Amino acid sequence: MKKAAQFLKGFKKGFLDFGYNIILLVNSVFLLFIYFVGVGLTSIIAKLSRKKFLNAVVDKKRKTYWTEPDLKNKLIDDFYRQF
Amino acid sequence: MYILGISCYCRCASAALLNNGKFVAAAEEEIFTRIKNDTSFPVNAIAYCLKSEGISIDDIDVVGFYEKPLISFERALYQHIETFPLSFKSFLRSMPSWLSERLRLVTLIRARLRYKKDIMFLEHPLAHAGSFLISPYDKAAILIVDDAGEWTTTSYGLGKQNKIRLLKEIRFPSSLGLLYSAITDYLGFNVNDLDHEVMDLAAYGDMNKESNIYYNTLKKIIDIKEDGSYMLDMNYFSFHYSDAFFSRKLCNLLGGKNRRPGELIKRRHKDIAAALQILYEEILFKMLNYIYKQTNCKNIVISGACAFNGVANGKIQKNTNFKNIWIQPNSGDNSTSIGVASYIYYSILNNKRNFIMEDAYLGPEFSAEQIKYFLDINKIKYKNFDSKDELVKTTAKLIYENNFVGWFQGRIEFGPNALGNRSILSNPCNPKMKEILNAKIKHREKFRSLASVVCIDDAPKYFDCDNPIPEPADFMQMVYPIKKEYLNKLPAVTHVDGSGRLQTIRKEQNPLYYELIKEFGRISGFPVLINTSFSITDKPLVCSPYDAYKCFIKNELDYLVMDKFLIKRTDNPKEIWNTEGYTGN
Repeated sequence: MKKAAQFLKGFKKGFLDFGYNIILLVNSVFLLFIYFVGVGLTSIIAKLSRKKFLNAVVDKKRKTYWTEPDLKNKLIDDFYRQF
Repeated sequence: MYILGISCYCRCASAALLNNGKFVAAAEEEIFTRIKNDTSFPVNAIAYCLKSEGISIDDIDVVGFYEKPLISFERALYQHIETFPLSFKSFLRSMPSWLSERLRLVTLIRARLRYKKDIMFLEHPLAHAGSFLISPYDKAAILIVDDAGEWTTTSYGLGKQNKIRLLKEIRFPSSLGLLYSAITDYLGFNVNDLDHEVMDLAAYGDMNKESNIYYNTLKKIIDIKEDGSYMLDMNYFSFHYSDAFFSRKLCNLLGGKNRRPGELIKRRHKDIAAALQILYEEILFKMLNYIYKQTNCKNIVISGACAFNGVANGKIQKNTNFKNIWIQPNSGDNSTSIGVASYIYYSILNNKRNFIMEDAYLGPEFSAEQIKYFLDINKIKYKNFDSKDELVKTTAKLIYENNFVGWFQGRIEFGPNALGNRSILSNPCNPKMKEILNAKIKHREKFRSLASVVCIDDAPKYFDCDNPIPEPADFMQMVYPIKKEYLNKLPAVTHVDGSGRLQTIRKEQNPLYYELIKEFGRISGFPVLINTSFSITDKPLVCSPYDAYKCFIKNELDYLVMDKFLIKRTDNPKEIWNTEGYTGN
């Protein structure tokens, strides 16, 4: 009886580990696809069209790096949105 | 009306509960899970907030979240696209968390809390700016100097009564906080440890910008304008695409490889830390002077992770036109749970302000009965004080006799600094205390400074502080020079440059703690104590009697005072404490 319980416990743990590894594998394949196809292609197209996603240019001639925030005149509904 | 503020997935998760404008509870998740800087969804902190008020989640009217997750996701995605294929590792590491939790926040909040009412999302800078609404000022300029929140890294604005208007901002990837983190990383210290190591180390370096060669070197990586705005040269950094903060180019610029944790600290490292501190102060003061001109307001509220830089904070009044400074006790991202709740209640719902945050004692507390039960069930030997007077006199005498005393009273502080309810206290007059505390008790570098606590009325006698002393000193947010005549009298709290991190205490904030310091003054002639956080290395502040006792035994403190109970370590040898067998709360 004790041996059977031990076996079941080990079996359950093994199955959980197997499930975890499958999730890891599927996630990795999925993310690899997204990264190289989605992110990669967008990046290549952006570089070809000279589009910049991060503004990180040091400009000695500029007087200031302060910019206007997009936080003015908010309506109450704006605070329910996640963007 | 109850509002619950939540912050998570940042440096440390937290929750705060506001009842009709007044904060009744706030706690960080780490104190419950015992994982330092725990960023996970703060289920334990939320459960504590509800329990402390005796309410259920159905009584909450609004839940507020400290950022707009989709805007943060947009930034993360743009970083990956811009830096492809260098961002590969970072993408694989960060995306599962985004997909499983951060992009499903509404579902997550509703499912985990069984909450059905309104959920509001605030832009991160507004959640920081919410600090103004619990400050003592009706009108104040607001400066937020952070790592990054959505796209904003630095911003300023103006607060008037219950309204806040942000006027200008500096956007990611240019970030003063991330510059500080990059150099901290280069110097081999923990970036998430509020960068106190670099601030302490700077005092050992050359703080003269004329002679410190690294000052001009560091200026090559940042373009600073006269109005304090700045732009980082991203060729020297890698935080926008990897876990490391600096690039190989920065190593070449600074004349060598980065220091690894535990390696010998050389003169070069000290000078780099000093150069960074000089540069940080220069930018901060330029920024503040510009903000003063723009807002024409003599009060300033500072928030964001950089507000923990007590050395710079202590110089603000002398270097700018601001007359009053306010920084809340927990100015980093973990405080945004407080900021978001106050912004929703006062600014969005347009309620009149009725609360000033005068202390940080908002966390869980344990009654004398609970502590006695814990001690009895674990067969721990203790002495029961008959009166508060006896407790104060005995504890002060023990500290005077150079014992290290764990001090566990009332509600735990909200924030990283121990402010007199979860503290290790000792004698500042003994020159060996600093070395012993750093090496044997705290297990950290010997250059680290120790904070001192002084009653507010005694502070001007021992410190060259501003007059009047700014409130942030109550929260250990200011560093001031110690007066020359006391440098040798208080050696354990005097840093190498003659400065000291100061905590001032007012009687109404914590009467027992106040009396203890006064009593120590009557015995020693100096009403000053060393106050350091009651915690084990790499662990958060102790929360429960169990945590306190474990830390007391592990850190080999001499005495532990929990409520009215005195425990002596030598009466309770390690062997009788079987931590594995303990299951109580």
